[in-house]
Amino acid sequence: MRGEARHAALACSALLIVTLAGCGGGDAGGGGTPAPPAESAKAQAGEALFFDQSLSASGKQACGTCHVPTRAFSGDPVTDHGLPVPLGGRNMDLPGFRNAPSLLYAALTPAFFLNAGTPTGGFFRDGRASSLAEQAQQPFVTSFEMANADATEVLARLNASPATLKLFVSAFGSAVLSDAQATLADIGAAIAAYEAEDPDFAPFSSKYDLWLEGKATLTAAEQNGLALFNNPVKGNCTACHPSQRQGYSDHALFTDFTYDNIGVPRNWNIPANTPGATSPISGVPLDYIPVQTNVPADAEYTYYDMGLCGPFAPAANDPNPRPSFMTITTLCGNFKVPTLRNVAITSPYFHNGNFATLHKVVQWYVTRDINNNTGNNPAPVPAGPGGNPYFTVGTPYVAADGSPDLYEYNDLPVAFDANVNIGEVPYTPPTFSGGQAPTLTAQEIDDVVAFLCTLTDGFDPNNPSAYNVPAQCAAGAN
Amino acid sequence: MYHSRQMTRRFVLPVALLVFGIPRLAAAAGDDDARLSALQHQLEQVQAALQQLSDENRALREHQEEVDRKLAQLSAAQPQVSPPSQVAAVPPAAPAAGAAALPNTSALPNSSALPNGSALPNTAALPNGAPLPPGPVPTSDSPGGYRPLASLGGLRFWGYGEAYYTDPTSARKESQFDLARAVFGIGYQFDQRTEFNSEYEVEHAVSSATDVGEFEVEQFYVDRRLNDAVTVRAGLFLMPFGLLNEYHEPTNFYGVQRNFVETLIIPSTWREGGFNLHGSTDSGFGWNVGLTTGFDLSKWDFAPEFPTYRNALTLEDNDVAPLQATHQELALANAQHLSQYLALSYFGIPGLTLGAAVTTGDAVPVPAPPNAPIPGNERVTLWEAHARWTPARWDLSALYARGTFSNTALANVANPGSPNPLPASFYGYFVQAAYKLWQQGDYAFNPFARFERYTMGASYEGTTGPVVPLGIVPLSAAPGDYGTWPLNHDRVWTVGANFYLGQHLVLKTDYQWFQENVNFKRFDLGLGLAF
Repeated sequence: MRGEARHAALACSALLIVTLAGCGGGDAGGGGTPAPPAESAKAQAGEALFFDQSLSASGKQACGTCHVPTRAFSGDPVTDHGLPVPLGGRNMDLPGFRNAPSLLYAALTPAFFLNAGTPTGGFFRDGRASSLAEQAQQPFVTSFEMANADATEVLARLNASPATLKLFVSAFGSAVLSDAQATLADIGAAIAAYEAEDPDFAPFSSKYDLWLEGKATLTAAEQNGLALFNNPVKGNCTACHPSQRQGYSDHALFTDFTYDNIGVPRNWNIPANTPGATSPISGVPLDYIPVQTNVPADAEYTYYDMGLCGPFAPAANDPNPRPSFMTITTLCGNFKVPTLRNVAITSPYFHNGNFATLHKVVQWYVTRDINNNTGNNPAPVPAGPGGNPYFTVGTPYVAADGSPDLYEYNDLPVAFDANVNIGEVPYTPPTFSGGQAPTLTAQEIDDVVAFLCTLTDGFDPNNPSAYNVPAQCAAGAN
Repeated sequence: MYHSRQMTRRFVLPVALLVFGIPRLAAAAGDDDARLSALQHQLEQVQAALQQLSDENRALREHQEEVDRKLAQLSAAQPQVSPPSQVAAVPPAAPAAGAAALPNTSALPNSSALPNGSALPNTAALPNGAPLPPGPVPTSDSPGGYRPLASLGGLRFWGYGEAYYTDPTSARKESQFDLARAVFGIGYQFDQRTEFNSEYEVEHAVSSATDVGEFEVEQFYVDRRLNDAVTVRAGLFLMPFGLLNEYHEPTNFYGVQRNFVETLIIPSTWREGGFNLHGSTDSGFGWNVGLTTGFDLSKWDFAPEFPTYRNALTLEDNDVAPLQATHQELALANAQHLSQYLALSYFGIPGLTLGAAVTTGDAVPVPAPPNAPIPGNERVTLWEAHARWTPARWDLSALYARGTFSNTALANVANPGSPNPLPASFYGYFVQAAYKLWQQGDYAFNPFARFERYTMGASYEGTTGPVVPLGIVPLSAAPGDYGTWPLNHDRVWTVGANFYLGQHLVLKTDYQWFQENVNFKRFDLGLGLAF
């Protein structure tokens, strides 16, 4: 009917164009949510592969071990022995390097591209995998994860797992099993299909979503938190975690998929960060820590996780690898902006899992450069009359022994300090607001956290009390 | 004269055929009566054809005389603020009935006031009933008053451009010298009733993926004159709103830059794709009605991290105003929703132009999640009214424009804390007075003063308005780049002068004071030309 109305409008206007009334295009819109299509055979195989621990060398690890469904498919510090990084390897004693991110909405990530020169998209926190399928293959053959020696070992384990094998053959046929590398590629494709097709990976069922749909009410604190989130001189969170749709989805994804260097403090709970580190489980040496060639000689430490510029590079067999940024030192320290959906249930936070709660994260954001009394900080910013209200003792930037570190941005070689984003709110530059006051008060931080908690999926408007939000979302939590 | 030559050629050919053809036919008739009869029949046909040609010739001569008469009227209407050369060429006289005051804020009414180089010899074909034919100097020997510098058959070329120096006196580090635009036009007259016009613009001198400039098609349309009173136009054309939009050549307005109301409230240069019918009457009424592409609210940026403008120049250039930010310029324009407009003008009293226009249509809506409630169509409406009066040496003008966006509440509610919510209404007005103070030879000096008020957000739905950050805030991600967040409304005084060097060239200067964004005050110098 809408099209007919438009054509009628065109016709009547073309003939006479005398009357203005009734010549506009109509738009009724509407329509309900269609039922999700049945998952493909690939996706069904992918689900089986995702949770099949027998495909790992230890027999105890699958994708789902480090991407736990109840935690929005992110890591679980409990199973990781309290570490901010997963444990893996043949004996499940080898710690990884990065905090396992949530896989919810990961399939909506664009492939890596340079947006007017700005790195954008890609998979893994450093975008080194060109697709979800490429990313999904890697843990199978990574020594400190599922620890298969190669694709041949993966194939052998698949052949020894009848239920998974049956689904795999249903999706891909049996001929591919004669080629181990092709089999591993199809394993990646199957897992990617599972993440892309299963609605559990993109439910858009948070309280925030239902509020937009008019089916839930945000509290005053939550609404104020969203306003502060959007306010360009308060939280300014939306600058990198946009609350507006960006074109990657019909919904806001709370990430723009760009890369940023925000100077997160070094996390000494990551074993690799300690020189000569050994496994906290078995004591074996961590001989798989990469040897970096692009760490300047005057750096304080020998190993740094620098995101885009290493230490990890695109896989040799990635058919469409992103450029190598190993020598682009201005990108050292840049990590992909993660989605904030379900952030309340995906602690710890940041690529290195340095902060355990959202309150600490926001407190750190708004005071990062205030009174960080590290040893040789070339330009320490004095705290205002009230001092730093959130880090009243010490500094987040500590050395291995807990004392203030030599430099503020201690998870980055000092030669790359200029890469750290200091020009945007909520970082508090020296001359902004007198250079002394954080952009958010304690109450405002509470409100921002309250809003972030509304991004947790699974809100049932008919049973709001059953909403799965953790303790840190409770009123008064800090 | 061009018409006369053309008509002469068309007349000579059949006569020659008669002179040389008839004797041969007569000789053959002596042999055969039947053939004689046939020849007589053919002769009658030829005589009929001659009569038809004669009638056509008479009609064309009459039409030519009508064109000459109108052109003479136009020439008589021009001396008020014309540069001296024109005054010398056309004695000051009361404009003839049917001629009009300038259809814009023009300081140079006989220069290329029209948005194209139309060659149609029918002033009724001009948009908004504008009485002036296109081209810089309406003359009786150039059809339609257009005398392009380059012409090849029906092909015509024209152009205009402007460069200016802007010095924000409160932030001199932001001073700029810019070739704001260089525009060239190409037209082709297919026949006496049908022509094509187009304009191509390069903004800011260099246009590439890594430069700030843009290359744009500003107009691209075909006119077909249905009769003396009605012309139909189709393609990409300028919207007949206000005093400036269709007549935006630098020789046609006062001030180095265009006024704010006709930039921020009525977008400039505002064009849409579609078609219209337009014409005028001998009594001085002009009309223009059309169906065009509309606006796209999905382009609205609710979350600018930094101010989208930081001085008066970027305020005008950065497409921040409600309709600037959402117009489509026929670049893969969404055509699900179309708008319709009506523009009326009256120029029946010499020296006076009155006009008004309104457009309305549904817009491409602000994106919402799939299951979100539908707020109803988001309709964009804009109307304006303007007047211009040019008694003696004076040039007085005024304009009011107001726009509305409907059903914006849900979009604003979903974006609390936004420094840039969607307005429900916006408006602006200005009054301007100019005076031809001095003239000598080809020179003329016309000072002017203008007061204008604009607000890009007069009212809001779903929010109390923009959350305007207070105090000194970052203006960009560059460390140390701080300042105040500008307001989206202001009152502006402008004083300055246009100094004409002949009819095609103008030097301008002005100074502007802003009552709200006081740091926007600026001094400008400009060079403009049109041919």
